[in-house]
Amino acid sequence: MEIGPLIAYIVRRLLGAIPLLLLISLISYGLMGLAPGGPTAILSQQARSLTPAARHAYEVALGLDQPWYVQYFYWLKEVVLHGNLGNSFVDQRPVVARIAEKLPITVELLTLALVLTLIVAIPIGIRAAVKRDSWFDNISTALALIGYGVPIFWLGILLIDLFAMHLRLLPASGINSVGREHDPLDLLRHLILPAATLAIVSIAGWLRYQRASMIDVLGEPYVQTARAKGLPERVVLYRHALRNALLPMITLLGLQLPGLVGGAYFIEYIFSIPGMGYLGINAIFQRDYPTVMGITMLSALMVILGNLLADVLYGAVDPRIRYD
Amino acid sequence: MRFLRRYLRRPASLVGVGIVLAIVLIAILGPLLVPYSPIAISHALLGSPQPPSLAHPLGTDILGRDELSRAMVGARISLTVGFAAMVVAIVVGTLYGAIAGAAGGVVDGTMMRVVDALLSFPTFFLVIAVEALTNKFALGIIILVIGLLSWMGVARLVRAEVLSLRERDFVAAAQALGAAPPRVLLRHLIPNALAPVIVAASFAVGDNILTEAGLSFLGLGVQVPTPSWGNMLQDALLPAVRSAWWLVATPGLLIILTLFGFTLIGDGLSYALGSSSARR
Repeated sequence: MEIGPLIAYIVRRLLGAIPLLLLISLISYGLMGLAPGGPTAILSQQARSLTPAARHAYEVALGLDQPWYVQYFYWLKEVVLHGNLGNSFVDQRPVVARIAEKLPITVELLTLALVLTLIVAIPIGIRAAVKRDSWFDNISTALALIGYGVPIFWLGILLIDLFAMHLRLLPASGINSVGREHDPLDLLRHLILPAATLAIVSIAGWLRYQRASMIDVLGEPYVQTARAKGLPERVVLYRHALRNALLPMITLLGLQLPGLVGGAYFIEYIFSIPGMGYLGINAIFQRDYPTVMGITMLSALMVILGNLLADVLYGAVDPRIRYD
Repeated sequence: MRFLRRYLRRPASLVGVGIVLAIVLIAILGPLLVPYSPIAISHALLGSPQPPSLAHPLGTDILGRDELSRAMVGARISLTVGFAAMVVAIVVGTLYGAIAGAAGGVVDGTMMRVVDALLSFPTFFLVIAVEALTNKFALGIIILVIGLLSWMGVARLVRAEVLSLRERDFVAAAQALGAAPPRVLLRHLIPNALAPVIVAASFAVGDNILTEAGLSFLGLGVQVPTPSWGNMLQDALLPAVRSAWWLVATPGLLIILTLFGFTLIGDGLSYALGSSSARR
């Protein structure tokens, strides 16, 4: 593959993402600006002694007395000129730093969940396609569909009850046991339940997509050719058909990413995992606008970059795709 | 009729219709038949949930309310949210996508960038944010918020259909006969673009029920004492009552069953309409 056109393509896509991110930031800021109450409403609930004058001074200090589009303009200026997402209303620390320390754990959770999903969904999807309309196909598809409809928090709490409370096999929440803060194995033990929860509800999508894709490929003329020339079925399936049936799965990554990220945030909240979702959902409840904006923008960026990665990967494995 | 025969040929599609019909019947008739008030608190049973018995086939909850009555009334609330938010999303998405596709050019480009932007959000995070920030939990508001944040996929589908339809002869014929653009859009383009929308609508009802449940779990959905499957689960998952398995099982299984039904219907429609074999 030529590297020049690829780089040009990536640069073009990244430039195209800029108006998209601007639009996203405008929509989010507008939504927050239209919300009644505002951060100081929470503050005056917590501290009854807050006088109207003190509340006003606080609002002026944070720029909250300005209309939302003026605030947005200042926010955008800081982001563009200094890469500064502002300071949290809650602990006054820079939002960039708050997010940076939470990002790795979210990425780890997402990765583990995706790996679990794929190692279940791909082989079962392939086998269901090969044994189309068999009992294996029907049962696996039905189970996947049932998994799709499970409320994620319900499943999470049931798994916590079963594996953490009754069987005492795995930890119920958090990411570290006391005294084992830097032990990767301990981290993995803490992430298994949340990642499995996320995987169970995601498997349906991947399994069905893999099955459909394999069925499509098995109908291709070149598969018939391979069979006609007398190759063993195993070779036909796993050497000829499988590779092409795996290709469309890369596209699905891009489509599934927003849902997966949203699911991971919810899971973090349920399992008290100190990642971006835990930070974000708590920031929403505390009306910590700068943090909410930061998380929203980073989530959107993750989705956009994930889509770009999917497209680049697709080109890397499929020589028919060209970037010019 | 060929469509109906194709649909009915698959047993799974029939199962889907059966499940959804049963749930819809419960939602419509249930509240008329309920043996107890779904919101009346029983002081005798307060604080000690009763397991299923003859008097209370699905037991009682922490406030001594009859779980069966709550589940039946909750079906009405959850299905209402699911269907109504679907209608909002379908109407907005269809009009938006059809206008973008019919307009073409810069208008289309700009309109679809907005769709791209909204699709880059994790939608659920956005729904939580809007609900938490506005602090408004009337049924109508929840329906609007869920519907207005989930129409983007429909817009994409309809736009793609309209793009291919507008080059067809019958559209040129309508234009030649002097039909104004809105008429072409509403009478000729949109009706012919609806096949994939019907499939999407079926999946959307289930997705909306899940979204409402998630919102309710965070305390941002339908508010107590009105029961929805979502806030019944929230109640049941409080550490104090979690050992009452019947309270955890009932709403959870109802949600799973309903979602299963709508997905089977969506699959069956998709098969009968001859569109792609897998949406998700």
